Amino acid sequence: MMPQAQQTTSAVGALAASQDPLESAGDATAEAPPKQVALAMERLTRAARVIADIRLGADRVLEALFMAADTRDQSSNKAIEFIIKEETSMRQHFQDLRALGRQLEDSGVLNGSLKSRGNSWGLHMPLVCPDGAVVAYAWKRQLAGQAGASAVDRTRLALKAFTDQKRRFFPHLDDEVSSDGEIGTAKKRLNSQGLIMSQREELTEKKSLSDILKDLEHEFPNARIFTYQRLDWLKRASLLSSSAIENSADPLKEQILNHPSNTRFGSVNVAAADQAAVIELLVPSVFRAVVSLHPAGSTNPDAVSFFATDEGGNHIHARGLSVHHVFRHVTEHADKALQYFVCVDNNLSLSLLLRWICSHQTLFSKTCSKCGRLLVMDKSLALLLPPVHRAYQETMSTISSQTESTPATKAVHPDHISAYHIGCSADDC
Amino acid sequence: MPVKWLMHWQPNSGATMSSQILAEVCQCVEGFGGAAKDGRWRTTLTIYRPVARDPSSTASSAPAPTPGDLPRDFLGLTLHDRPGAYFFILRHHRLILQADANVQSLMDKLQSYKARVVLHFEGFQYQLGDFQLRVGKCVQSHADTLRGIMMEVEYLPLCSIDKSRQIMEDFVDIWQDAVIKKSLPGHFINVELNFADYGLQDQYTPQHTALQYATCIVQLMATVRS
Repeated sequence: MMPQAQQTTSAVGALAASQDPLESAGDATAEAPPKQVALAMERLTRAARVIADIRLGADRVLEALFMAADTRDQSSNKAIEFIIKEETSMRQHFQDLRALGRQLEDSGVLNGSLKSRGNSWGLHMPLVCPDGAVVAYAWKRQLAGQAGASAVDRTRLALKAFTDQKRRFFPHLDDEVSSDGEIGTAKKRLNSQGLIMSQREELTEKKSLSDILKDLEHEFPNARIFTYQRLDWLKRASLLSSSAIENSADPLKEQILNHPSNTRFGSVNVAAADQAAVIELLVPSVFRAVVSLHPAGSTNPDAVSFFATDEGGNHIHARGLSVHHVFRHVTEHADKALQYFVCVDNNLSLSLLLRWICSHQTLFSKTCSKCGRLLVMDKSLALLLPPVHRAYQETMSTISSQTESTPATKAVHPDHISAYHIGCSADDC
Repeated sequence: MPVKWLMHWQPNSGATMSSQILAEVCQCVEGFGGAAKDGRWRTTLTIYRPVARDPSSTASSAPAPTPGDLPRDFLGLTLHDRPGAYFFILRHHRLILQADANVQSLMDKLQSYKARVVLHFEGFQYQLGDFQLRVGKCVQSHADTLRGIMMEVEYLPLCSIDKSRQIMEDFVDIWQDAVIKKSLPGHFINVELNFADYGLQDQYTPQHTALQYATCIVQLMATVRS
């Protein structure tokens, strides 16, 4: 039992330099962890090593191809041998990875829900545990618990793991410490338009969350917007599930669910505004969108997801996926839109995102701007879908043209945002 | 609950309905790309007729309602997706009622109504992305003759009849194109119903389904007679 643990910790230690911070809680394994967990961790580290080898192999193959491209005939044989050698070693790596994956699946570490979650940037998304903490793997918290840590220590470990990941993968998000004036280093490299951008930032002050939501309410009277603290949202999500199971033909129940036992915006409660971490955007009978803010009370969106209005359950949160195909595809596209809005202008990202979300109120009625039809069979997916891709670049240009004149003007109406089927999308962003 | 549209088969004039057509329709669905057969379904519709009361036995009590007073077009339905409920429809009075499935034993005890005709709608269920299709035949209980061919189309993400109208219409168009390609002697019709007449709301409920079946029956009877 102990040699297992020692081997694991030494393996972890050795890879600490090249390892991503997903393994940061690994030092807690020094005290007798369950054997399966130790095995799983060892397999995961091996998998990470294989993945690193694959990355290196890919670089080498590229190098070999370059060599082959600008070499003369004599050394072309060498290049070909090199490519063949790399190819066989890559194949071997992939086989190893597959075997490891199967072992992990059998031991229950990798399961269906983790696999089906799409990685929109090719990154491993952090997992949201039922009480709202976000960690790399839910079972790692178990480890931390069995190390004899108290609840506070466990929370601290989980928070550390998450902030490490966040700092590494989302460098453009504001840290809690930074103030408004620090538009500085992290964002300067995102300013593709240099001077004009900084001028614009001076013109439009960073709006507060309540201002943004009030503007949105005026512009979209159809949509109902609520804010919640993170745990309150989870309670509501499970309420949604219990009402969805029963016969939902009760209009009174619908009212109770949508009424302010939740932090309705416009209330006098200032403290609530600072703790708002989840925004719910409901367009009745069309969709329900959930946006998560980080940190709570700020205007930085970090995840968004779409669901059906009568969908309920614990998967209804900003990182969950709907059971319906149409909303899954909208969510996938929304991930890209969110990334785009955040990269282009961090100050306006939330209002841009929310307005773009509201443009989906015509999801089931607006025809595609390219083929002119509503429901179309997507051949590659073998699914009948309405246009689920709504352009997000258009929102940006229209707002920038408005801000120089009057900061408070309404920008383009959402009905003018073009919609496309998956197959009709012109660009692939 | 998700919106459903019920369509029934209208054969071309002179053509007959047969199980061959049903098989071809099923093939059509299966060829729709990605359609996965899910299981079987069955909905039962009962047409009741009032039991004539013997006047002599009720001489002592208050005047019993004569058969002429009792509503004639009294329908009862068991839906496949609500096995615990029983639906009553009075078409001329535009009433629809949902009751517990045990009410049937109650009816047997009361003996005020007798089942005149019992029709079974049964067939296969298919999953096609966000759509669920149910194709089946209508047969009379204890008889084998095919009375009709039906298709239920359900769109899972939406519950509002209004909001789903365009999507459903588009689906029906796509479906009709697929059927036409097979050159079958007839086509599917969806009867547009005014749910508000029966006091039903825009949110779809099993009562809406029950009503669609009831309307369908009327159409089927008309088809059979002609």
